[in-house]
Amino acid sequence: MAFTNLMLVFIFNLLYLSLSSGIEIPEEFQKSNHTNNWAVLVDTSRFWFNYRHVANVLSIYRSVKRLGIPDSQIILMISDDMACNPRNPRPATIFNSAHEQINVYGDDVEVDYRGYEVSVENFIRLLTGRVPPDTPRSKQLLTDEGSNILIYLTGHGGDGFLKFQDSEEVTSQELADALEQMWQKKRYNEIFFIIDTCQASSMYEKFYSPNILATASSLVGEDSLSHHVDSAIGVYIIDRYTYYVLEFLENVHPNSKRTMSEFLAVCPKSACLSTVGVRKDLFNRDPSKVPITDFFGSVRPVILTTDPINIVETPKRKKKTENKTKVQVKRDYVPQFPMHLVQVT
Amino acid sequence: MGSENNISNADESNRMWASASFVGVLIIIGMPLWWKTTEVYRVSLPYEKISSFKPLSHFVTTELKVLANDDATASKIVSEIQKAFAESDIIKIKIEKTVMSERQQHILRSVVDMEKAVEELASTLDLDQENIFHVVQKKSLSHNIWVGNERIMFFDDEKASETIVKALDGWIYQTSVLRGARSDTPDQARSTRFPPESAYHITLSIVHPRPDTMQVVWNAAEAVEDYIGSFVDELSSLHNFTLKSQWLHLLDFEFQAREIKEASEWGRHFAVRQDRLSLLLTRLEERAATHVSELSTINLALYIVPCDKAPIIIYDNEGRKNPLSIQAFMSPKWGGVVIASPPAEQCSQQVREFEPSVGQVMGAFVSHLRELLGITKKDAIEGAHLEPLRSVSPRRWEVDALLRIRTLEQVTSAERTLQSLAQLLEEISNIVINDEVGASIAAAVSELEAGAGEGAGADAARAGRAHAHAQRAFTHPSLLALLYFPDDQKYAIYIPLFLPIMFPVVLSLRILLLWFMGKPVHKEKTD
Repeated sequence: MAFTNLMLVFIFNLLYLSLSSGIEIPEEFQKSNHTNNWAVLVDTSRFWFNYRHVANVLSIYRSVKRLGIPDSQIILMISDDMACNPRNPRPATIFNSAHEQINVYGDDVEVDYRGYEVSVENFIRLLTGRVPPDTPRSKQLLTDEGSNILIYLTGHGGDGFLKFQDSEEVTSQELADALEQMWQKKRYNEIFFIIDTCQASSMYEKFYSPNILATASSLVGEDSLSHHVDSAIGVYIIDRYTYYVLEFLENVHPNSKRTMSEFLAVCPKSACLSTVGVRKDLFNRDPSKVPITDFFGSVRPVILTTDPINIVETPKRKKKTENKTKVQVKRDYVPQFPMHLVQVT
Repeated sequence: MGSENNISNADESNRMWASASFVGVLIIIGMPLWWKTTEVYRVSLPYEKISSFKPLSHFVTTELKVLANDDATASKIVSEIQKAFAESDIIKIKIEKTVMSERQQHILRSVVDMEKAVEELASTLDLDQENIFHVVQKKSLSHNIWVGNERIMFFDDEKASETIVKALDGWIYQTSVLRGARSDTPDQARSTRFPPESAYHITLSIVHPRPDTMQVVWNAAEAVEDYIGSFVDELSSLHNFTLKSQWLHLLDFEFQAREIKEASEWGRHFAVRQDRLSLLLTRLEERAATHVSELSTINLALYIVPCDKAPIIIYDNEGRKNPLSIQAFMSPKWGGVVIASPPAEQCSQQVREFEPSVGQVMGAFVSHLRELLGITKKDAIEGAHLEPLRSVSPRRWEVDALLRIRTLEQVTSAERTLQSLAQLLEEISNIVINDEVGASIAAAVSELEAGAGEGAGADAARAGRAHAHAQRAFTHPSLLALLYFPDDQKYAIYIPLFLPIMFPVVLSLRILLLWFMGKPVHKEKTD
């Protein structure tokens, strides 16, 4: 009896050992090796009744900025300016709820593409890096092989497309192709793709490039719903999915240990009324082991200087750059009243 | 009856010929024309050449001259070096051995000072030639080997051969960095230095948070011109640089420093944790306006600590205090920061005036720039003495090594870019390749074929051009010309356009065919 017991324990142990070693993924595999973080946040719809989409995108903007991604690495595309819309009863504010708890507009919002600049063309050009030659650096996605990119899209969508500004749409195929071109050009390490539209999951179904984790506010055939109406502004103030995302992100701090799988489960069907879609097959890591700050925070390695050069001789630049000769322009005041132009008799 | 038949026959044949002409215009002329005009325009590309590229097969070549007092020593050293690098697939060294002339031996015996000896030897050796390194025997050294600023290394005797190989591998040729430059995934050095570009913009910002309480005396423009300018001039064969300096007033940053009491003039210092420093970079970026330049910007910032927060000392992640008198750090692919605290006696005065030491501050910045531009740190090697740098200019052999690294990096990157473009053209059908892009690709291919990437000088320039061409081809805006004409929606556009016309034409085909076939039979009948 004792022997069999012992045997059983032994077999159990063996089984347990083999199981645990089979499931366990090595630590370094789970560790991300990205060296910088970027965010592309896009609101594709304009007009006052789409107030909620601007509130959506600014909620994410507020969170990533708070968690440490600098403005120079956030590309914010907003089609309309709700904060300064004449219908806004409280100018220069955009709130996440009717209780006006969080002003997502904040103090400084740096919009990179605004109004009619938010177009399919500019979006795809931004992603693939094929921008016109005179584009300023602040409007370019200057990512490299070590970049983790957070892409957030919100607007009105349908099965297989996302509408931009009532006049055009980006299809899921185009988006998938753009991401593939980014991958081929080594423009990212990993991408976290979030989309909050109707039938949102149709947008990521065509993706075929590796290292992409995607989530969507609704499945194909479902609508994404808005959260509530603010009677002061007369329209819906925010979408359900993003409302709960913001609520979740407000409790995340740069050093927090929250994981991506918590983020993916942020809006259960009871809250969202639509089913949140997730696609993990392209993603190499286990979302339950990926800290949320891999995408929402920012890594900025800092290396302390231990070997400054002890410069003994003061250098003098030999090759002088030719100073552009500055001709002093003589300036004087124009008389305040141009009496010389008036005929005085 | 017969004439009526004839009339209806003629009528019918008229009708038939009319519809046949419709068919002719639409199907025989129209369809090919439509096919031709809606074709995705693509210049023919040298796909075969592109697919034959092997980015991992590239290596660099370099020359090494071994000079010794006697032939036996020279042979021993040469064979050791050959043995060590024979297996290397990344570098091929052409070694030449010489027994030194009596005059050279005399110089080396009589001159004790190393720098002097190099100077004197330079009259007999050509040290100015790029990509040629000299290993010279000099008896009675304090170390096994000695390396200075010129393309020369002294060694004591044949016992030093192991150290020589280590120094050649780690310092002079940096094979691990070369391997990192070639490989698919970046290594430490590649993720620190800026990606290869033809030009960079360097901005030095002097950050003065409290200009009302203290005056800072510092000639930023001159410091940039003299120190940074002299440094970048040495790298002018690789990149162009534009330099700029600016003052940023009232930019305060909360270091969250912890006050620590100590027995010094101040009686305290403020401890700043290393992980807090990355937020300073974010704060600096807000104001530094570095994106005004269309080039990639290397940021340098001198942060002047206000008196009430001074002195600041950085503690690393393990909690160790920075032992140096200068508090500085850098961030890969971003730039460097120096934190300058005013001395205690200045802060106790009524009129405060602080003049940070130009040499010390710029020494830190130049050491940042060296790493950011690809000159790696040299780890100590046992038995080897590396003369510390005393000026802003990099060592001559460091520039050679950088040239080799950049050449290899650009060649492999150009090849990878072309290959991935070729693959994308296969995968995605609506990418347009116009004449300009085609020319860029052809230029890149021809530069690569011309043998870029073997070594220094002209090859480096060629590698740079190949890289630039490939880059331009990949990111040219015209590749997206058909963005609004997606392949999967082509027929959604054509069907409503052409179906109403094509429908009767296609239907008439059957009757036409019958008529053409049936005509002789019909004729027979009338006969």
